[in-house]
This record gives sequence, structure tokens and C-alpha cells, in this order.
Amino acid sequence: MGKVMLYGGIDIGSLTAQAVLIDGKRQFSSVHNSSLFLAKSIPVKPNPVDSAKAVMEEIFRENGLEWKDLNYCISTGYGREKIVEEGMANENVSEISCHATGAFSLDPDVRTVIDIGGQDAKVIRIDESGNLVNFVMNDKCAAGTGRFLEVMSRTLGVSLEDLGGVALKARGRVDLSARCSIFAETEVLHFLQRGIDVGSLAAGICRSMAERVMALVRRVGVEKEVMMTGGVAKNVAVKRELERMIGTRMVDSKIDSQLVGAYGAAVLAMKSGRSV
Amino acid sequence: MVEDNMQKVINLASEIFNEEVKAWKEAGGRVIGYSCVMTPPELIQAAGFLPYRIRALGNVKTEKADSYLSRFNCSFCRSCLELGLDGTYDFLDGLVETNGCDHLRGMFENWQYAKKTEYFHYLKVPHVINENSLDYFEEEIRLFKESLEAYSGKKVDAESLARAAGEQEAVRERVRKIYSLRERELPAFSGFEATALVLVSSAISPQRFLELADQIITEREGGKIAYRGTRLMLCGAATDELELVKAIESLDGVIVTDSLCYGTRAYARIIDPQAMLSKPERTLAEAYLLDLLCPRMYEDYARRRDYVLKAVERSNVDGVIVMHNKFCDVHGVDNVQLRMDLERRGIPVLQLEKEYGSIADVGRIKTRVQAFLERIGVIESGGRL
Repeated sequence: MGKVMLYGGIDIGSLTAQAVLIDGKRQFSSVHNSSLFLAKSIPVKPNPVDSAKAVMEEIFRENGLEWKDLNYCISTGYGREKIVEEGMANENVSEISCHATGAFSLDPDVRTVIDIGGQDAKVIRIDESGNLVNFVMNDKCAAGTGRFLEVMSRTLGVSLEDLGGVALKARGRVDLSARCSIFAETEVLHFLQRGIDVGSLAAGICRSMAERVMALVRRVGVEKEVMMTGGVAKNVAVKRELERMIGTRMVDSKIDSQLVGAYGAAVLAMKSGRSV
Repeated sequence: MVEDNMQKVINLASEIFNEEVKAWKEAGGRVIGYSCVMTPPELIQAAGFLPYRIRALGNVKTEKADSYLSRFNCSFCRSCLELGLDGTYDFLDGLVETNGCDHLRGMFENWQYAKKTEYFHYLKVPHVINENSLDYFEEEIRLFKESLEAYSGKKVDAESLARAAGEQEAVRERVRKIYSLRERELPAFSGFEATALVLVSSAISPQRFLELADQIITEREGGKIAYRGTRLMLCGAATDELELVKAIESLDGVIVTDSLCYGTRAYARIIDPQAMLSKPERTLAEAYLLDLLCPRMYEDYARRRDYVLKAVERSNVDGVIVMHNKFCDVHGVDNVQLRMDLERRGIPVLQLEKEYGSIADVGRIKTRVQAFLERIGVIESGGRL
């Protein structure tokens, strides 16, 4: 790799760790496809600092780069402060600002970001300059997060990746009454024992998930365009249910939705790094 | 080297059975615990006891308490009850219950059921303010005084009540002074320090607190704390969690004022000690009911809102954090309205629901507070494009 001016973003989630590197010589507003930056995603390790180290070293190794090539780096997500203390990032920024920045940089028409990760769900409102206007996050409950889908897919015997597709293909839908992940699992088991087909249950689970997220959406309101980020954005059924409930189609993130937080961190690193 | 006075306060605030209470007990004194801001400590003190405001200091273990209360009771009440059951509060000779909320009642009644302290009194506080409720509360204050007299074995005379009221008023006056120094443009106290001072003010004798507070006020009056960033106000439920305040302030924000039960709300009232000589019960009833800023009161939201709005303006606050413990209905409901009213006036608000004292919860709260600070954008963190 030739002479570069690298800016990095590290995003440690509850299930995966992401690193994104962007080349400062390019204008970030032109970064609209994944070929213009480097990215890596790995499953997390028990310690966020170890996850950060592993994901960064992998991205460096794969691209023939070294730590010293990094001009400025921002950490976000779990253990973001520790990652700064360990010298792997220059500063830390909350994942809310990173997702807002990431989504806005990918599409400047975005005003609402729905980010659903493994343990968090957030709805973020941004203005026409990309500033954070308001946000709301789930309370201490897994029901509206990726964890809910993970638990449910295991109960149904369907892979997490396939759950959305199975739900879309279903002929019917069983509505779940319980909003709590634990009780919903009991309810799903009960339906399975009664012989209800997996597809109808998958459809019910995805709708239940979307309803939960809609409760957050209503609290901050929706302004178009809407982008969904985070791992759950990959579930087509949840996404479609949300589009139906909001009444608008969401814009595509153009890059892997799980990378948007790390990408936003890298964009912020470029801004901070340039002013240093 | 002489121990730093502020450090001494932080040490006292970090321990439930602190050295001052130990000394009081060793000298043969008795201690009466109360929790609710509607309990007049003047009466307890005038009867010869040390009034001690019950706190949990971030305790998260609630195994014993959960056998009495349920997991869907307020975690602050469960944490306090646990400390009552596990012996931490065995130095208390008595308890004063109020109907502040049903969780609190559950805490006190189960505590007394299990531990059977020597003295127990239930002070009933009306939920509305009018002439009838004032008469009722005056009678309740009289009953409380009589029960203290029965326990101490001697009458509470007007002079000792006036003396106690004078000292308690001096305590409130010092706390108000500390808050005025905290709220100014260059704060003399961090939120952490002010919270520690508030906690100590109701956990040691008034005389000792006044000594400490006067020294600290003299030391700090001309100075300022090192801080940068955003000026915050903290509102909501019972919060004696020093660590939480510290965690919030570790994020480029300083809490310059509050509307908390273990904060300004307990120190707003002004009582003339001389009034104790003529009509003590009526004076206390009026002071404790009319100046009560608590969401358990009916038809009184506008006053609570105005109290917050005034503090925001007075302290030049950039953003308000309103929080409540999970299952705290009174604050949970009030906070929604408060958030909407503040936002309508263009004041940024972060609404938080939390578990009391949970260390695991601190990370979750810090993420939200950090994003809130980035949103307000007073700090130059590179958090904006």
C-alpha cells in the first residue's frame, strides 16, 4: 500500500468488534461504497481491549499496514475509554454520535437512524448538518435488541441469518403476547408444541421485535430519510415490518450495516485528526 | 498532617456506621433512622436522639430483602432494607416510617417486622395541601412528638425544640450556602463533593456538621474547582449514589445543581426557631407540608416544574438529567411531564431509568450521558461533523 493518511474507527459491540480505516486524502463525502475504505469484523473476546487489539491487528496484517500508519483513531462501544487508555485510540466518542455520523456521511439525506445491536437499540435524530438532535435508547431490557432474535432463532432451530428470510416466506403469522424475551421464549415453545409452523412463529417474532423498536421510534419521532444500522438491520423481516409501521422505505446504508458505527468513528477521527 | 476537611466529609459520607455515629453510640446516645424528607429531624433531636437519614450508598446486594419485598419493588428501598436485615443498621435504636411511597412503606414495615427495633413510629403525611390536611398533619406531628417523649421518658420542652430547630435550620442554611457556591459561574464544589456534604449533613450531629461545613465553606469560598465542559442539573428519585455522580462527572460534565430528595429538596424550607416557643406543631406542619417538593403530592406538579426551571436559570444549566429507579412510579410519571416541559422550553433533557446502585448499569448510563453531552455540544470532543 502506498503512502496513506489513515484514520481509524474501532467499535466494540456485545457480539462483534469492528474496525474501519479510511484514507484521509479522500473527501469522506465521496465515500459511498465499501471499496473506498478498509474494514474488518470479528467476534468479540471477553475483554473489549483484547477485541480492539485483535481486530486492529487483523486489519493491519491483511493490508500490510502497521499501528504507526494510523494518523488518528477513535474508539466507541464497550470499553471505549479503556481502549484510549491502552493507547490504541486517541479519544472515545459514544456509539450514538458514531452511528449518527456514520449514517449521515453515507447519506446526507438521513435524519433518523435506527441502530439495533446485540444489546442496545437506539433511535437517533440528526439535523441537516449531521448534528445530533435527540436520541432514545432501550431501557435495561433485551426485548428490543439483537439478543431477542438470537434467543428466538435458537428456540426455533433456525440460524440467526436465516430468521428474517424464513419470516418473509411464511404463509401466516402468530402474534406473540409477551414483550419480554424470557416469557416470549416460553410462549414460542408452547406454540411449537402445539404444532404451529416455524415460519409463522418467525414472522410473529420479527413483528414483535419491530413493535418494540417502534415504541422507541415514537418517542423521538421520525423524519425522512431513515436508515437502519447495526446487526439487526440485516434481518429483512424486521426491516420490512418497521418500514410498514413507519410508513416509509428506509435508505440503504450502502455498506455492511454493522460497520456504520466504526465508520462514523473513523470519519470523526479524520475530522479530529486534521484539526490536531 | 491534618486531614483535609473535604476528604473527611467524603470518608464520612462513604460509610453508613461512620465514626461520628460510633462515638455517639459509645457515649450512650441513641440513634433514630428515618428516610423520608417529610420527617422533621428537629423533633428527634429535641427528644435527645441523633436523627440519621437512612441511605444505601450504592449497595446492590438484595438477597435477604428480596425475601420480603419483590424484584419489582424499587431497588433503592430493597437495598436499604437489605442493610437493615444484614446488621449494617443494627446501630439504629428506632425507625420512623412515612407514607412517602408504598415501596418505602414496604421497606420500613418489613424491616421492623424482621428486626423489631425498640422504637417505631409511622408518621402519616397528607397527599394534598389545604387547611384540612394542614390540621391533620399538625395532629400527626403532635402524635410523633408524644411517641418520642414516651420512648425517651421525658417531655420535649419548647426550649429544647427551639434549640434543635435552630441547629437544623443552621444545617439547612449551610447546605444552601454550599449549593450557592456550587451553582455559581465558577463552581466551588463538584457535584460529587456537594452530594457527599448533603449525605453527611443528615448522618452526624448538627454541631459536628456545622463545624465541618463552616471550615469547608471558608476554604472553598474564594476558589473554584477545575472543570471544563457542560453544566448539568440532576433531577429525580432518591439518589445517594456518590459513585454515579462521580461517573457522570468523569465525562466532561459537572453537576452544578439538582432537584433530588437527597439534595436541594431537603434543604429549601426555612423554619424560624422562635416559632417553636409558641406553636411548634403548626410551624413544623406548615414547613414540612407547604415546602414539600415531591412527586407523591397530588395536584402540585406545576410547583415542582417551576422549581426546576428556576434552578436551570439560576445555575445557567446546559442540560438536565432526569432519572428514576425502575418501578418508581411517582418519579417515573413526573419525569415524563418534566422532560416534555423542559424540552418545550428548549432545554436539553436526558431521561434515564436505572437500577439503584448497579455497577453494571454505570456503563450503560455513561454511554447515554456521553451521547447527551455530545449532543449538547459544549465540549470540543470532535463529536460533530
